[in-house]
Amino acid sequence: MFLLSICQWVDSTPLSTLIRQSNWLFSTLDTIHTLGIVLVAGAIMLVDLRLLGAALRRVPVVQVVARIVPATLGGFGVMLVSGGLLFSSEAVKMYHSPAFRIKVILLALVGLNALIFHRTIYRDAANWDPAVTPARARLAGLLSLVFWIGIIAAGRAIAYAPGYDLG
Amino acid sequence: MMIHAPLFASLATTFQWMQHTYLGETIRHSATLIATLEIVHLIGLALLLGAILMVDLSLLGLGIGAYPVSRIAQDLSGWTLAGLAIMLASGPLILFSEAERCYKTPAFWIKMTLLAVAIAFHFTIHRRVTLAEPPEPRPTARIVASLSVALWFGVAFAGKAIAIFQVP
Repeated sequence: MFLLSICQWVDSTPLSTLIRQSNWLFSTLDTIHTLGIVLVAGAIMLVDLRLLGAALRRVPVVQVVARIVPATLGGFGVMLVSGGLLFSSEAVKMYHSPAFRIKVILLALVGLNALIFHRTIYRDAANWDPAVTPARARLAGLLSLVFWIGIIAAGRAIAYAPGYDLG
Repeated sequence: MMIHAPLFASLATTFQWMQHTYLGETIRHSATLIATLEIVHLIGLALLLGAILMVDLSLLGLGIGAYPVSRIAQDLSGWTLAGLAIMLASGPLILFSEAERCYKTPAFWIKMTLLAVAIAFHFTIHRRVTLAEPPEPRPTARIVASLSVALWFGVAFAGKAIAIFQVP
């Protein structure tokens, strides 16, 4: 299998071995990744809740998005780097982990959802009724909320894949 | 061995008792239950940290536009409480499932101490400063926001450390 042979190659690199054999390095990356995802998801959830009309109702959507979304992009970069390094330390194990596959799919969906939202309905956001956001914006918020909860759940579930130490 | 309810018992006995309750044993022997509780705990943390960080950034002058801190804090207080409630509901259940290990783990006690301080701080000084009309002077607001961020991040880090520093 093509993907499997890539994962086998990744596992054989010195970087992979270094992280795999260092408890400190792995735990530090794990901590950065977990807390980072909690922060990024927490911030995006505020935007989602605003779109759903459930938080920050007195602040226009445009201002909530403009304040929070750019700040999360940096956090998202940290997630990708720390996540990539964690993946590289046990690539073959990840290849066999259903939770990891679900997480990757959810990440793609969360990105696609955000992209479609920003490219379509959000273009008109300045004209939205501050009290009630359009149905499509609420749908985008709801989907994002569900996907992010799914990403946290799948991420945690990876640690419970067969052959793992619980913790 | 039968362990009786911990009335007047030592702390160690209490933690032993917790783990051997029906609740503790049931959760401990189900990876699905433990994973689910941890996921719920993390989602609660996301809500809590997201909301508190937004308010603290506002206190630091990095809020949303020119919206007053008090308004942001009021609008988010419900979600802060929801996040805290989710964590306080799931946390003790996780604790019951591994009470004996937690008892021996310094990170657990550090987390409990920081949590107590963070909650006390949040509902007293932090609350008064965020809701103040007119707003508190900059230096006060900055110190309170920094303390709040430090305390809650401390709670989160110590929480992660419980899992990392496994005690045999």
